Amino acid sequence: MLTPVPALQAPDGSHLDLDALVDALSSDFAVSAGGKRLVHRTRLDTFDGRLRAAGLTLQHETTASTERLVLSGPDVASTIVAHVTDLGWPALAGALPDSPVRDAVAPVADIRALLVVADQRRRVRRLELRNKDEKTVARLELDEPTGASTDAAVVTVHALRGYEDQARRATRLLTGLGLRPAEEGGEPDSGPEESTPTIERDAPATKLIAMELGEFLSAMRENLPGLLDDVDTEFLHDFRVAVRRTRSTLKLGRPVLPPDMQSRWEPAFKWLGDVTTPVRDLDVYELELPTMSGWLVGADAGDLQPFAAHLRRRRAVQRRALVRGLRSVRYQRLDAGWEQALAELAASEDEQPSAGELADRSISKAYRRVVRDGAAISASSPAEDLHGLRKRCKELRYALEVFAPVIDKDSRKTAIADLKDLQDVLGRFQDSEVQRHSLREFAEEMMAAGTPAQVVLAMGELVGHLDAEQDRAREDFEGAFARFVRPSSDRRMRELGGRR
Amino acid sequence: MKVLATYNIKGGVGKTSTAVNLAYLAAREGRRTLLWDLDPQAAATFLFRVRPRVKGGGRALVTRKRPLEAAIKATDFENLDLLPADFSYRNMDLELDDTKKRTTRLSQLLRSVDDDYDIVFLDCPPSISLVSENVLHASDTLLVPLIPATLSLRTFGQLTRFVADSQENPPEVVAFFSMADRRKRLHRDVIDAISREHTRIADTVVPSLSIIEQMAEHRAPVPAFAPTSRAARCYEQLWAEVRPRAPEAAGHQSDRSAP
Repeated sequence: MLTPVPALQAPDGSHLDLDALVDALSSDFAVSAGGKRLVHRTRLDTFDGRLRAAGLTLQHETTASTERLVLSGPDVASTIVAHVTDLGWPALAGALPDSPVRDAVAPVADIRALLVVADQRRRVRRLELRNKDEKTVARLELDEPTGASTDAAVVTVHALRGYEDQARRATRLLTGLGLRPAEEGGEPDSGPEESTPTIERDAPATKLIAMELGEFLSAMRENLPGLLDDVDTEFLHDFRVAVRRTRSTLKLGRPVLPPDMQSRWEPAFKWLGDVTTPVRDLDVYELELPTMSGWLVGADAGDLQPFAAHLRRRRAVQRRALVRGLRSVRYQRLDAGWEQALAELAASEDEQPSAGELADRSISKAYRRVVRDGAAISASSPAEDLHGLRKRCKELRYALEVFAPVIDKDSRKTAIADLKDLQDVLGRFQDSEVQRHSLREFAEEMMAAGTPAQVVLAMGELVGHLDAEQDRAREDFEGAFARFVRPSSDRRMRELGGRR
Repeated sequence: MKVLATYNIKGGVGKTSTAVNLAYLAAREGRRTLLWDLDPQAAATFLFRVRPRVKGGGRALVTRKRPLEAAIKATDFENLDLLPADFSYRNMDLELDDTKKRTTRLSQLLRSVDDDYDIVFLDCPPSISLVSENVLHASDTLLVPLIPATLSLRTFGQLTRFVADSQENPPEVVAFFSMADRRKRLHRDVIDAISREHTRIADTVVPSLSIIEQMAEHRAPVPAFAPTSRAARCYEQLWAEVRPRAPEAAGHQSDRSAP
């Protein structure tokens, strides 16, 4: 197996002379140099950089005659290579050929597709260093740029297990020629990164809101191509998150925003939310189907196959509508008009109120509403009341996120953690409610289409499980709400709402 | 980590060829593979051009004076490492006999490389011995090459009884015909007549082919120097039949709603 060591390059980063390298190495080894191969190296990662975050580097290398995946990283004992054929990107890691590369990458990438994040062509020549028994004891790769690229040529010595001393000897011979460790290149195209923008508390509130809305517009635009190409489900999910945050920010900003934000843009983004909802709902079913299969007691997981096929058919129909909507003139006008509106908002000269004042007011109001509606929930409250409270919690959560740049970081973090517990319980309750209703609808459609009884019975088991889950969530609510309004949490929320 | 041993009480039946070629194929598909040449004749070690020498000999490994990892050598092939044979392995029975858990010591030793390899092949010497008992304990699968001849089947009977009697959870035994010559009536008759009732017999039959003998000349696995040969195809088919299946990739998690 190969253990790479730092690459070497000429001191001035110039061309490396093969003959000079071979001459230097021939004193200790029998050197055989292979021919130059054009290697196309494609670095892969998910859109949100999950492999990079996990310290993994995955490359798809193709030459005229070979194709392989090369994975390296801190949790991998050594570089893993898997020979593959005809791979195309984007692709889900779970769909890669059965190999240790897939085993290592799939849990990290999870539901996100692998995409090309960097792409380069190099001329690579492999040199084998052999001992007296003609056994290969070290390998070198002479890696040169192609065409007019100004990248440095580098040579890498790969040690072989049990022959590390030979690799060290080869490295010494090369450094004797004046070669030096190669400079690390910057990581191209590292993908989107989360960052908290900075703004002062006494800056105008409109400035903060314009800045946040601009971030959400960027997120929508970044995710749109992957959404339209259906690369993976998370492009739509993240697009919707940006839409939802935009809608909440518009609502939170009502006291300071121009009237047309409410009259024109709030309905525009509601439309966008509605356009994207049906496919997301179906995605959730498809993603949760393996978990749902695990709930079955009497039925067999295979009984749900016709349900999965039904979901796929419905999704295909809904996706066509979604793509039509997002390629429509209406959407293009929304995008362009919104950019213009944000530019005008950023340029407005309203000084009052300040971002800090609006943050205090919004958080305080949102918190009071959560406490009020939560206290009114009893064991017999209808599902709509719990759903209403869930919406209030989301408003508070968005307020804490939108005004993050002007509120205390640590308090905010703890407050969100407290709120998240309550949101989780309410989420479980509402998801069970929605899924139960949808399952009934799906079952009716499928029965009308002549689906066998055992499929509907299996779906009935899922409804039963969701019933029980909803009951559990309702039971958990009281404790979660009590924790949320406990004195220390209440004090923190009031401080975040400006009452110090 | 899965352990496969090529084993037969008889010698000269194709154990080493099988271990070398299948280990190469496992490595070629990206599995981190180790081949431990337990046979003091060191044929597999020779084929990979590695010197048949372990510092301190078999005794140092068995007594853990020398860690297994320290004796491992890379072969010329990606993902494929070799734990070389040493002439002192001829005394391995005695070394094992001196240890506390004398029938499970190899299994214990292999645990130290559990994280480094996906598959380990054990190329065993032909015998029934303490080394063999250790191999049975350490292996998930016993690959048994059989020459299609009456005596060979008789020995196979002894072997299956030995495996069945050796422990509570014996390894799976997968036999396959090796060095078969379809022109010989006896070979054909034996292949057709063998009972598959109590033993798993692989469908693949590895014929007697001169290209397999040429491994010693090329000092490389057949699929490496003759990738399109009939022998290479046979080993690929055999590997497809016996290769351990990888666990399923991790299940998906969903994130229903954004905060």
